[in-house]
Amino acid sequence: MVYRMSDNIQKKSVLSVLLGFPSAVWTSVFRNDLPHTDLGRSRTSFTNFFLHIHPVKVHKHTLRPWFTMGLGLISLFLFLTLTVTGVLLMFYYVPSTTQAYDRMLDLRGSVAFGVFLRNMHRWSAHGMVAVVFLHMCRVFFTGSYKKPREFNWVIGVLLFLLTLFLSFTGYLLPWDQLAFWAITVGTAIAGYAPVFGNEIRFLLLGDTTVGQEALLRFYVLHVAVLPLITTLLIAVHFWRIRKDGGMSRPAEADIVVSTEPTSKTVSAGAPVMAFAGADGINVIEKKRYGIQGLVRGPFTKVGNVPDNSVFSYPNLLLAELFVFILTILGVLLVSFFFNAPLEDPVNILHPPNPAKAPWYFLGLQEMVSYSAFWGGVGIPGLEVLILLALPYFDRGQKGIGVWFSRERLLANTLFMTFVFVNILLIIIGTFFRGQNWEFVSPF
Amino acid sequence: MSEHNDVHHTTESSEPISRRKVLAWLTSMGILGSAIVTVFSNLVFIKPRATYGQPMRFSIGTPDEYPPGTRIALGNQKVAVIREGNKMAAISITCTHLGCIVGVADTGFACPCHGSRFDQDGNVTGGPAPKPLPWFELSMAPNGELEIDKSKEITAGKWFTV
Ligand code: HEM
Ligand code: FES
Repeated sequence: MVYRMSDNIQKKSVLSVLLGFPSAVWTSVFRNDLPHTDLGRSRTSFTNFFLHIHPVKVHKHTLRPWFTMGLGLISLFLFLTLTVTGVLLMFYYVPSTTQAYDRMLDLRGSVAFGVFLRNMHRWSAHGMVAVVFLHMCRVFFTGSYKKPREFNWVIGVLLFLLTLFLSFTGYLLPWDQLAFWAITVGTAIAGYAPVFGNEIRFLLLGDTTVGQEALLRFYVLHVAVLPLITTLLIAVHFWRIRKDGGMSRPAEADIVVSTEPTSKTVSAGAPVMAFAGADGINVIEKKRYGIQGLVRGPFTKVGNVPDNSVFSYPNLLLAELFVFILTILGVLLVSFFFNAPLEDPVNILHPPNPAKAPWYFLGLQEMVSYSAFWGGVGIPGLEVLILLALPYFDRGQKGIGVWFSRERLLANTLFMTFVFVNILLIIIGTFFRGQNWEFVSPF
Repeated sequence: MSEHNDVHHTTESSEPISRRKVLAWLTSMGILGSAIVTVFSNLVFIKPRATYGQPMRFSIGTPDEYPPGTRIALGNQKVAVIREGNKMAAISITCTHLGCIVGVADTGFACPCHGSRFDQDGNVTGGPAPKPLPWFELSMAPNGELEIDKSKEITAGKWFTV
């Protein structure tokens, strides 16, 4: 047998090897053709690195557009846009107090698409802050942070903080008046933290005031440290979604009366060998799945529940593509019509009046104008702690996977109040504060 | 193997500490200890020993460059130099609230960031600033030039006579 096979191989002519070259390369990269059968669909999901992030099948409930509103995905795509545009900007940016601002001007004059890329980066950054926050609201109002997803909520809160911190560090880089004073005020807030406040501030700035050292430190944080941590946490976030049993959904979503007798389905322990079968077998009839490892606890159950799931390929992939196109289209349009602001170069003696932080920090700045400690450290710190601990105290299992469930009236009302108060503070800080932070009417 | 050992030991003492447990404990402590040392030394690394910014002690020229009635802000050094008659003072112009640079006027100081106000001597008269603007030590160097030392805060109202 063995001899015969090698005989065959030797007989292959040079010509046929050459002719077979393209397909040999192709099949070495993609292990199978575009799938036409369910078996092929699962196999495609398994064998492709970029697809294997997805489960082979997703629950129909997960695909409802109005359930997630795609907010998490939009956050991811904005992050990817930021990474690409950010790396491109790095080719021209120099983190030096004498050059940074000029480099910003150069983007206008002497870099092809310079302004456009900067616009994309700036508007995606603003967008990301907003969308990540909305994503968090979605998760709350659908009760999706409850057991077994507590830890993923915690990761999410960390990701939100990282997003804010990325924006904050990026804000200094243009080294204009806006940047300089926003960071002066922001890092002074850090100085009010108890015990280590001044140490933290000193480590952050590398000096006692905002200057060259601070610019360099913020640059390193902005382009290396924080994006790396964020990428890592995003990976953990996605992995946990799978391990926590996919997207949350109401219990009813699984108890839909099934007309199929359950005996048809095969238990989750079916051997991986199932894939050895030819593509031709009728997989609808005999459902067979391999599992890649033994999963304990909640997982996308196979076989012992009525099957309300559809194949990720193409259903989920198309949905993702759609969200991606929408996101990128939005960023392109906004960047086309609006230019990212650039104020005068830094003038250490003359803070602009009023010196305002970016909009998402204006709620903080408004609170800070009453008390630096409580507004800048105390209350925000408590808010973060409460957000982190929340899923460990709200233990009820009711109203999971439903928007504004009546059974969660109290929790939803409290969170809604939290959201509204923060938005209100931002609105006051943005529109109702003028010179010397005095109350003005925008009308 | 070691289970066999365990059994053997338990026959001797009532409180058996298996060798494996001790080793595991020591190893964990070792790893934890090195992790702490690593984190700590990294913190030490990123804490600069010398800063490149403005020196804390600097000369501001001779007194006659500041005629009586002067209230002038030195931008880079972030102090206001004030002279009334032959009394002089150096007052910080870094707002004690969140570090903006306050504007210097004849009537006092005003911060553009969150609206703190200070009187002529730097005492808070309004806004969120928690402390008055500090006064710095002013002295006369042997060469007849005035020197400010920002690392030495003095009590407000302690004028330097020239
Ligand atoms: C790997 C990811 C990233 C890289 C390599 C990167 C790189 C850069 C660079 C080089 C600049 C300076 C050029 C400029 O100011 O336009 C910058 C600015 C900025 N970045 Fe990023 N960035 C990344 C991700 C992010 C993220 C996730 C956010 C926020 C959510 C963000 C927010 C900002 C902001 C607000 C600015 C100031 C933009 C401006 O005024 O021009 N960046 N970034
Ligand atoms: S920094 Fe001066 S009032 Fe806030």
